[in-house]
Amino acid sequence: MNCRLFIWIGLLPLVLMPGCWTKDAASDDDEAVYRYPLPTKVKTLDTGNVEDVYGMLVVSNICESLYTYHYLKRPFEVIPMLAESLPVISDDKLTYTIRIKQGVYFQDDPCFPGKKGRELKAEDFVFAFKRIANTRYASVNWGAFKDRIIGLDDFREYTKQFKDEFEVDYSKEVPGLLAIDDYTLRIRLVKPWPQLVDDLTSAITAPVPKEAVDYYRKDMMTHPVGTGPYRLKKWARSVYLELEKNPSFRVETYPAEGAPEDAAAGLLADAGRRLPFIDRIVFQIIEEEQPAWLLFLRGDMEIMGIPKDSFNTAVDIQAECPTEFIQQRHIRLSISDQPSLYYIGFNMQDPVVGRNKPLRQALNHAFDKDKLNELFYNGRWRVAHSVMHPLMNEYDPAIAREPYTGYDLQKAKWLLAEAEKIQGGPIPELTVGMSGSDPFSRQFGQFVQRQFESLGLKVRMDFTDWPTYVEKMNKGQHQIFGGGGNRFSTPDALGVLSMFATKYFAPLGNSFFYSNPDYDRLYDQAEVMFPSPERTIIFRQMERMVLEDCPVILNTQRVQYILYHGWLENYKPHPYLYDIMKYIRIDTDEQKAYKNLEKELKQKIKP
Amino acid sequence: MTDRTPTTENSNEPVKGRSLWADGIRRLRKRKLAMVCFAVVMMYFMLAGLIYLNEVLDWKITLFDWRQAVGPSYQKPWVGYEWTPEGQTAPQRDWVFFGTDFLGQSTWRKMIYASKTSITVALFASIISILIGVPMGAVAGYFRGWVDDTIVWLYTTVGTIPGIVLIMAFAVVLRAQTFFGAELKGITAVYVAMGLTSWVGICRLIRGEIIKRKESEYVLAARALGCSNRRIIFKHLLPNVFHVIIIDFSLRFVHFIHAEVILSFLGLGEADKPSWGAMIDAARTELARNVWWEMAAATVAIFVVSLALNIFGDALRDCLDPKLRTD
Repeated sequence: MNCRLFIWIGLLPLVLMPGCWTKDAASDDDEAVYRYPLPTKVKTLDTGNVEDVYGMLVVSNICESLYTYHYLKRPFEVIPMLAESLPVISDDKLTYTIRIKQGVYFQDDPCFPGKKGRELKAEDFVFAFKRIANTRYASVNWGAFKDRIIGLDDFREYTKQFKDEFEVDYSKEVPGLLAIDDYTLRIRLVKPWPQLVDDLTSAITAPVPKEAVDYYRKDMMTHPVGTGPYRLKKWARSVYLELEKNPSFRVETYPAEGAPEDAAAGLLADAGRRLPFIDRIVFQIIEEEQPAWLLFLRGDMEIMGIPKDSFNTAVDIQAECPTEFIQQRHIRLSISDQPSLYYIGFNMQDPVVGRNKPLRQALNHAFDKDKLNELFYNGRWRVAHSVMHPLMNEYDPAIAREPYTGYDLQKAKWLLAEAEKIQGGPIPELTVGMSGSDPFSRQFGQFVQRQFESLGLKVRMDFTDWPTYVEKMNKGQHQIFGGGGNRFSTPDALGVLSMFATKYFAPLGNSFFYSNPDYDRLYDQAEVMFPSPERTIIFRQMERMVLEDCPVILNTQRVQYILYHGWLENYKPHPYLYDIMKYIRIDTDEQKAYKNLEKELKQKIKP
Repeated sequence: MTDRTPTTENSNEPVKGRSLWADGIRRLRKRKLAMVCFAVVMMYFMLAGLIYLNEVLDWKITLFDWRQAVGPSYQKPWVGYEWTPEGQTAPQRDWVFFGTDFLGQSTWRKMIYASKTSITVALFASIISILIGVPMGAVAGYFRGWVDDTIVWLYTTVGTIPGIVLIMAFAVVLRAQTFFGAELKGITAVYVAMGLTSWVGICRLIRGEIIKRKESEYVLAARALGCSNRRIIFKHLLPNVFHVIIIDFSLRFVHFIHAEVILSFLGLGEADKPSWGAMIDAARTELARNVWWEMAAATVAIFVVSLALNIFGDALRDCLDPKLRTD
């Protein structure tokens, strides 16, 4: 009996040891590993269907598009990536001819003969675009192409006769989308599409080899095959994604030019050196902020945003610099604007709020945006005064001084009295829909409720899960709803203004169901205009129409506070670029020295 | 017919008999700790009732106005402070018991208000589970045969699924569903979910009790007199096992309070009103910035009511179940 017990006890460490042993990702040789915390799971890596920021962050390192933004230059400049040069545009602005780089190869993959990646051809773009148009493929990104390219909508209609996406004959010609030869792509448009080049910077327009789709079929979401600097090594769902250097990546070099201050910041030190620098990228899925923060402080993450509750530990908000605690660890702080917009929206089809402009305006002026910013974002975000973001060229700084968005309880009460006249009595209980019932959503909901109740109104909060919230929003079943996010993938302001156009009623973007014929007329006019002073005037007119009609209470715009370790070189935030990791270099010696530094600092604290 | 009233040995004075309930209550009264716990439980019930009346009759009792900001964000407990309330310009000095939360609301008031949420959920969930479990257990135990087989199969199947997982699944499915024109929202969905999933224990218990008693003399007598099965079950058998239901109710109550806390913690409970689970969930991230009072307040409230209910439930079982009597 005892003997057997001892044997079992002896075997116990064998069972427990694997759990105690963790492989330090950066400990292998001098390999440079970039570890990045993802706060949520990645849904898909299929470029045609990727839509969320985190999926884009991963897939953009694997799959490239025709164009990209210059990493360092500001204002943002579009440069060729897979294209040889910027497109040749016809005089009527309806035909784009794009030459594609020669000698670009897809990464080696079992889908190709001999598992050797073949050369990129113009036909791969045609196939990728047609695949997005295929109704049976059900791409979430079809909206970007709808009514744009000659024949593509007809191709979409044609695909409706099939039951399966793989039955569709992709050789069927689309007149507006032609591979003239292996290296020339011609796109013919229904009407001018001034944002086309910007839109072609997105990974959703990346070329897709037909061999990969035929080989992986439904599993394409876990087998991205691209031309980018990295390739997928392992995807342990809900745990981590690992990318490794693509050995067949073409010769690309670090930019030699940048913004005026970049040279002084050391951002041009690697000019001309071959990309990428980092050997592996590990995206670790850590849903809670605190564990990610502790890993970062331990030196097991290269970079991360600052959790709300650790903000005072990390940043001296008065001086806008890292605290001593952070500086001792040679950690650096980056502050950058994010083109985003957070708001409280009104359903304009609702019989109470939709038909009562003074009520919407009253609620707008009763909402203290500064206090919201202070309470929820440590005062570090921007209070939004415009639907357009200050990063956009058409943004009018004077808008902040106009009386659209300010907190003014007296004015709000006066407007409420007007609203009650229209209503013909007291305003009935209002319902505000919020997505999620996590502590942040609940606190945010309570804040909104209190702001509106300061007018003496009765307000009920409706906390729902995300799918229910979206369904209600798309069906116009919310009365008032909280929303927003990083919505703008290009610097062009047309995207944000489309949120108020009648033709983009939800689910296409106009969740407010705001409809103003004058606005729509201006939108149709501006939609086909290339950036110009005339277009800026129209954009600003449209913006003021929205602010006057008040289908939305503008809250905040995100300002990103990022901390990154001193061993991370060449880091410069870019709001529209997802594949910045290829430019980043890691000083592995400094990375290793950090563990000792951390120990020393801890020992200093102990006595 | 002879008079069968018992008499004492030395006189013809009749001895006054005590019912099971009277005897149980007499024994319970002798237990001081149980009575203190009973008082604590009653206090929670009274608070819940008062909060309910305050809402319905709009009494505007300040103690129950948890939404009112009473100080700055995350004000420490028992420390004086100066602040300017909303809509006022002059700062004022104040003091708050148990500190404030993120929005400057009193943690103490939230803790008190949350008792209504928990007591309501536990009460209604208990009632629903009893309404389902007791008749099913009684029918299964009385009729046996295929009726028993079916009910035993059903509760065995439901019983194999972990309780909290089943409650969560039901809570998610029931949320925002409409039944007979009424939408199941907030805590209604929670207690309906709990009630629909937590009847197995009481069903099994009652089935066993009924099987044990169905051949008793009083049942045979009722059957001989031509009573219907329904009358025998509901008029004769169930009143005799009612003490089992009461004991189970008191012990089950704690379980339901805990389940409500877990569901609220997971974001499936009451979202726009305070609950202890939601307070703990909010405090989880706040602990990192040394805001401990919200966690402490909710934990203390749960601890006190759980302890009181457990001690009282045990005492009740000891007193009402003759087989467990040790005195």
